[in-house]
Amino acid sequence: MILSDTDRKILHRLQSNLPLVSRPFLELSKELNIEEDTIIERIKFMIENGYVRRLAPIINTQAMGREATLAAMKVPEERIDEVSAIINEYSGVSHNYLRKGKNKDIPYNIWFTMSAKDDEELHRNLKEIEDRTGLTVRSLPTTKKFKIGVRFKIY
Amino acid sequence: MIDKKEDIDVKLIKHIQEGLPITKTPYKDIGQALGMSEEEVIQRLKKLLESGKIRRLAASIAHRKIGINANAMCVWKVPKERVDEVCKIMASFEEVTHCYERPIYPDWEYNVFTMIHGYTDPECEAVIQAIKQKTGLDDYVVLYSEKEFKKVGVRI
Repeated sequence: MILSDTDRKILHRLQSNLPLVSRPFLELSKELNIEEDTIIERIKFMIENGYVRRLAPIINTQAMGREATLAAMKVPEERIDEVSAIINEYSGVSHNYLRKGKNKDIPYNIWFTMSAKDDEELHRNLKEIEDRTGLTVRSLPTTKKFKIGVRFKIY
Repeated sequence: MIDKKEDIDVKLIKHIQEGLPITKTPYKDIGQALGMSEEEVIQRLKKLLESGKIRRLAASIAHRKIGINANAMCVWKVPKERVDEVCKIMASFEEVTHCYERPIYPDWEYNVFTMIHGYTDPECEAVIQAIKQKTGLDDYVVLYSEKEFKKVGVRI
């Protein structure tokens, strides 16, 4: 952990929109009272060292006309690596986790999110995973969204 | 049939989805690469944000690396008629980063999904306890991630 207070200040601000002006980092420098050059240098440092994955548009898959779902599977222990590798082959898969219930047992252990250009492609891919693994894929698409905003308290 | 405007927007997003140039004039540099003016890049991004196609133009942080080590996917069994009320309460917690309603099945009765992030496990646990207390809900499961096979941002 080698982030300075300046870095944390920048990081906190960067979780909200970058100003859409010609010199966005100059704008930030006024807000944060940090030199533009310093901001640029520290952002580069934080990207190169893996504190920031990227500074980029966070895409709303559904608004872009894409379909997405959270899928769950019950995979036998000895097949977990094999099945998760098959799931990861699909470029629309953004998250793929082995999860266990902490306070209760649950019927599924592999959880992944998948998006596709439309409903047809999404279901074709899920069906293909079922065919290739011989296992059932349970699709749990969002019916209502109450909050989506991965902003963290930085301190 | 994709219209032309959409086509350019898709081209723009594809060009910057791996990351904006970290320069004094990022929009001008993007424009130069794509053969459009700085002003056009800014206007297109503005419209994409306004229409909600882009949620944010912002940093995706590697939360584990900065010390936010704990996360819990907590699923709740919520009576249909209480979903709106309860989810508003859940969403009001800063540590709750996602709150969704999802369908149920005979072997899966947990209809509300919350994602909780914190610096420590006890911090996440405290949020769960606070939600229980505020909502009166008692049927929930904490799903912790034992292994991460893939985690990338959504790309088009």
